[in-house]
Amino acid sequence: MAVDTLTFAVITLVYLIAVITLGYIGYRQTKGSDDFLVAGRRINPVVLALSYGATFISTSAIVGFGGISAQLGMGLVWLTVLCIGVGVLIAFVVFGKKTRSLGQKTGAVTYPDLLGKCYGSPFIRKISALIIIVSMPIYTAAILIGGARFIETTLSIPYDTALLAFAAVVAIYVVAGGLIAVMYTDALQGAIMFIGMTILLILTYVYLGGVMEANSALDAMAPMVPDTLAAIGMTGWASMPEFLSPIWLTMITTMVLGVGIGVLAQPQLAVRFMTVKDNRSIHRAVMVGGPFVLMMTGVAFTVGPLTNVWFMRNGGQLAVDAAGGNVDSIIPLFINSAMPDMFIVIFMLALLAAAMSTLSSLFHTMGTTIGYDLNPLSNGEKISMRPIQIGTLVMIVVSTIVAYALPANIIARATVIFMGLCAAAFIPAFAHALYSEKPSVFAAKLSIVAGAGSWFLWTAFVHVKESSVLGLSNALFGVQSVLPMPWGVVNPIVIALPVSAAALLAALFIEKNKTNKGSLNSPEKTAAEINKNGS
Amino acid sequence: MFGITDPGIWAGYLLSFILTAACIAYGIINWKNGSEEVEDGR
Repeated sequence: MAVDTLTFAVITLVYLIAVITLGYIGYRQTKGSDDFLVAGRRINPVVLALSYGATFISTSAIVGFGGISAQLGMGLVWLTVLCIGVGVLIAFVVFGKKTRSLGQKTGAVTYPDLLGKCYGSPFIRKISALIIIVSMPIYTAAILIGGARFIETTLSIPYDTALLAFAAVVAIYVVAGGLIAVMYTDALQGAIMFIGMTILLILTYVYLGGVMEANSALDAMAPMVPDTLAAIGMTGWASMPEFLSPIWLTMITTMVLGVGIGVLAQPQLAVRFMTVKDNRSIHRAVMVGGPFVLMMTGVAFTVGPLTNVWFMRNGGQLAVDAAGGNVDSIIPLFINSAMPDMFIVIFMLALLAAAMSTLSSLFHTMGTTIGYDLNPLSNGEKISMRPIQIGTLVMIVVSTIVAYALPANIIARATVIFMGLCAAAFIPAFAHALYSEKPSVFAAKLSIVAGAGSWFLWTAFVHVKESSVLGLSNALFGVQSVLPMPWGVVNPIVIALPVSAAALLAALFIEKNKTNKGSLNSPEKTAAEINKNGS
Repeated sequence: MFGITDPGIWAGYLLSFILTAACIAYGIINWKNGSEEVEDGR
């Protein structure tokens, strides 16, 4: 890197001291399991907004998706639209307020606990916890790998040391201070990310001669689109790909819909709504969350394509060629090549903050899932903090081992896999739990199983990006995708989420017919009503 | 718009700004609503 390693190490040390101090404050305020699990339900709205945003936006969202936008163009701005519209407005206003009030009413302290209590069904709680505990370590390991690779490069220390040190520092404050420590540190990290991305946007446009000139220059580069990309639908970096072309389908179904909708059912995000005392806090958090997510994703997807103009002017190459074909290297290379030294430090710190905020939340969610939801001693009742802390520690160790086992190129795939599975399995059942007076356990079970099952089948046998890695389709049928193109590039979420929703509706219809014929409610359903009505 | 000719792109930017403004407006309009004392049940 261009900046002096010692300077970056000193600033990183100051940052780590600040993080550990906030972690210590969280530890001092954590007196019992409610504090550890839902931050005592007394978090400030600004902290909620920054923590939600910093958890949602990981390093891979900035560097990975920023790099992809450098390669495929500004069409990813539609992911920004969904991140704000769905990830903030709908998530907070439609899902968040209900999640908070039901969490408070039922006394739920985790996402599976909330689902279980809304439905009055231990099965729903356990199956949700199992889906989290199976899929989340892979995503966590991917974030861990990304962070460790980044530390290895910037601080010039061995990868193994970086991986262990990264996991250990985050583990200290997550295990000791629970969700209060996680959210306080998230807020600091979110603020650093906001400053870093703001400076990045301003300097990029300044270096390229202003907004109009930079955008026009990018628009004029359309004839330089490589033949291989033009053949599959790319039209330029400042224009959308051809409608329904393979690039359009990948961009819209995998990136825009996969991530933009997937955000609604992520357990580590949903639990944050239960950390505030009233809906007023959620209203105020929306005001901060919208601009924050705009600056994180909007800047990444704007600066990414514009790097092509800079690299063309300074070396006569497209960004992806300047980065040696490695899309993940485009943003760091641009920062190191174009930005002043002091900003390089700020931006690198922002990336470290992005990785730590996401990682700490995932550690916490996995820990509470195994230490509370899957703990046979809890059964939905309050337990002491100790087993949850032990569970958190166990899952940190498991994630670190998984990080060693996984190949480096799994990072982007693991993110998509986790978000897709959560969305397909949980969104319809979650919405039904929040908005139905008498949520049906049968419908929820069918929806979760159908969503997760169809997601798995599409992932393993149709969507080429995953099926080629898993190898099941090839082993059984001798092909990477059992369906012809363009189905092989259609993301599983586009299929599995409607299947999950249809299963829920079909089950409700069947139940309604049965009820009309005079059949009685199941005991589980009665329990759900009691839980939700609080009497 | 701002040097971008494809409506598919600038419409995305425009919508992003509109939604961000909606988030800010929502927070301001409901600044005092939803406090613990005045909350409704389900």
